[in-house]
Amino acid sequence: MNRPLNRFATLIWLALVMLTLATFCIGEEVTAGKTVMLSVLVISLIKGQLIANYFMGLRRVSWLWRGIILGYFVVVGGMIAIAYVK
Amino acid sequence: MNTNKALVNETEDLPGDFAIWIFILAEMLVFGVMFIVYAFARSNQIEIFNASQLTLSRAMGTLNTIILITSSYFVVRAVSSIKSGDSRRSGHWLLGTIFLGGMFVAVKLWEFNQKFSAGITLETNDFYMFYLTLTFFHLMHVLMGMIILACIVYKLKNGDYSAQEHFGVETGASFWHMVDLLWIVLFPLIYIIR
Repeated sequence: MNRPLNRFATLIWLALVMLTLATFCIGEEVTAGKTVMLSVLVISLIKGQLIANYFMGLRRVSWLWRGIILGYFVVVGGMIAIAYVK
Repeated sequence: MNTNKALVNETEDLPGDFAIWIFILAEMLVFGVMFIVYAFARSNQIEIFNASQLTLSRAMGTLNTIILITSSYFVVRAVSSIKSGDSRRSGHWLLGTIFLGGMFVAVKLWEFNQKFSAGITLETNDFYMFYLTLTFFHLMHVLMGMIILACIVYKLKNGDYSAQEHFGVETGASFWHMVDLLWIVLFPLIYIIR
């Protein structure tokens, strides 16, 4: 049993739950706007990186795969942001 | 030569079958295009999208997000267990994942039922068309993931995986994490951002 790795995975899970609750709290705010939209997208990017690198195990593989996932979140998130401020 | 060898050893192969990673990228691309189309469609009907979005339960969306994140964590523990040679514990973590997948499906069906009971369909407006299509498409992936994980649990019980041979477990795990990854974008896009 790899206890240090399991403990680390638990910390990542806790961070993901906290970020999800933060997203919920932002969504409950009556006022919506660009700051809210950007905050939520940045939180999604951070969550995506945590899942890809630490749950999927991409931190141990070639940088190319990490770059693809990061690029995906940046491009898709960026396009969503452009559409919202358009 | 030695330097090259050292560089190669610094990184590992992708977990699981390479083919699943091609599938994951293809799925992410399809969903990515749909997310962007949704965002631009919204920019032409902001009031309709915002008003319709407020009828969704953000609490249920958040609950489903936490369920999926937790199920992904269970999958990490299942892979860790089989790498340690504990196939029994690995199977238990995967059964927990399937249970959480079932919870996700139940919450989603409850949400669909609420909307259908209110007379909302794909044709009500563009927001509901995107909401129902995107979340249903994602739901199908959750169900597919549950079937894949159930097959892995069956093989674990038959002793087909071990600390040395756990390729299939990693392949199924990668698929399940992809389902989680897609929801990470889908949830704020449909439920939160307005």
